[in-house]
Amino acid sequence: MSRIEVTSEVTGTVFQIEKAVGDAVEEGDEILILESMKMEIPALAPAAGTVVELRVAEGEAVEEGDVVAVIEGKG
Amino acid sequence: MSNEDSRDDFERRRARALAMGGEDKLARRCAAGLLDARARIDRLADAGSFIEVGLFGTSSVVPEDRDSTPADGKVSGFARVDGREVAVVSNDFTVKGASSSLTNMKKIGHVKRVATERGMPIVFFGESSGARMPDNMGARGMGALLGNDPTQYVRRRETPWASAVLGPCYGSSAWYTCLSDFAVMRKGAVIAVASAQLASLAIGQSVDPQELGGWELHAQHTGLIDAFTDTDEEAVDLIRRFLSYMPSHHNEPPPRVAVPAGSDEAAHAVGELLPQNRTRVYDVRRIVNAVVDRDTLFEFKPLFGRVAVTALARLDGRTVGVIANNPLVKGGALDAHACEKITSFLVLCDSFNIPLLIFVDTPGFTIGKEGERQRAPGKIMNFMAALQMCTVPKLSVILRKSYGQAYLNMGGGRNSDEVAAWPSAEVSFMDPAFATRVVLWGRDEAAEAELFAATRERMANDSSVWELASSFAVQSVIRPADTRRYLVRMLEVHEPRRTRGIGQHQLASWPTTF
Repeated sequence: MSRIEVTSEVTGTVFQIEKAVGDAVEEGDEILILESMKMEIPALAPAAGTVVELRVAEGEAVEEGDVVAVIEGKG
Repeated sequence: MSNEDSRDDFERRRARALAMGGEDKLARRCAAGLLDARARIDRLADAGSFIEVGLFGTSSVVPEDRDSTPADGKVSGFARVDGREVAVVSNDFTVKGASSSLTNMKKIGHVKRVATERGMPIVFFGESSGARMPDNMGARGMGALLGNDPTQYVRRRETPWASAVLGPCYGSSAWYTCLSDFAVMRKGAVIAVASAQLASLAIGQSVDPQELGGWELHAQHTGLIDAFTDTDEEAVDLIRRFLSYMPSHHNEPPPRVAVPAGSDEAAHAVGELLPQNRTRVYDVRRIVNAVVDRDTLFEFKPLFGRVAVTALARLDGRTVGVIANNPLVKGGALDAHACEKITSFLVLCDSFNIPLLIFVDTPGFTIGKEGERQRAPGKIMNFMAALQMCTVPKLSVILRKSYGQAYLNMGGGRNSDEVAAWPSAEVSFMDPAFATRVVLWGRDEAAEAELFAATRERMANDSSVWELASSFAVQSVIRPADTRRYLVRMLEVHEPRRTRGIGQHQLASWPTTF
């Protein structure tokens, strides 16, 4: 089992969390949506697996490169 | 020597030169799935068209190397690609690591001069260990071998240059890659100032060659390469494809080809590719693909500065350069890498008479700490100056957002020859939500909710496309479904007739890796 970190590609705020800890995700699924420059920017699952950590809450500020969630990969 | 003996002597010498570094080395390369220097030329050239110069060149510095340096490690000559002449330099790593020495540098100088004077592209197949030792050693080596050509690394872009990085590239192979208009790297190859071994010796740094200068570094972080492939064959094929879009030299327009069947089909539904919600993201490449001729999009640097898309393509059979914001990444907010990528692409298009299509959907330039540390203001101005100095036809289409300085950088106002907008376009200095806060600075939103709502609505209305059209800040408002037809027609209108399609090339000597 591999732990895969999901990072924020922008500096902004957490707009909406789409998945909960324990949810199964496919590669490319939206885990949460960030808001930056008035755009909604999804943080996507880089691989299929299970969400094991959500490190941010809605409304929280994030920096570019911050880990926002962790997925345990299927492989 | 009798005539017969001299003929035999010729054949023996020729066979020895063509044998490169010997059967063992060639067999090992073949087993590793690599093409040798001559096979790469065969893959590039139209069958039977390669004519070599310098086959009998050898080391002329170290006498004992004379018989072990066939073609002096760099195969050079001229070939046809799709019927057009190109000059070629193919490094032969099996001969002293294709290191640079006196004879082979003369060979490179010769084909560069011919290519420039006669008007043909140059293709470099890079795989070289750098300067040859001991030839270049000591003050005598340096004085004799280096610095003899004061224009060796000057790029005036009279003709296109393309490089494939197909092995270790240190020294001149790395320099020519950085000077090229198109650079493709085969995975496993390396571009660096000096090798990992030298880094270990000189500074005690232990580093993996891929970490030092592998494809991921250059594709994602430095942007020094435009494309990457798994095999030598694919890399050579990409160079052929790149050249198919390019003129042979700067004094002719790019070639025009037949329009592929079905090119009009996708254009009708292009508006449906834009999300209904103005804050949602999407991949702009789907829109561009639907507008240009079918299967002609040839993207540059797909993993670098991804908030912008730069690509060659064809429209109505003509080569065009595409610059687009890609909301899929960072919502389309332009960052420093995207500015660098667009600027270098503007240099290419301006140098070789390639009209520009600009697709606009950006909330502005990225703001905040990270960008400032990357010298974003300077990058934005390089990009802006390049756009304003670019003298090829520039047609822009505002799909959705165009804000602030980015409006100008993406061709807004008189920064393109024609600006069209979709009805979904919105243009302003900043997002209405931010602008409301600025004009009502210091007031309490909770206490004056109605005022805030009314102000926000007024700001949003004022951003609409109709205000732009009313003041002729856009020349046309078009149905998304008409975008292809509009651009085809406008490209005809803006053909530079007075100069037969040739621009002023004001960016031709700009660096692209600043």
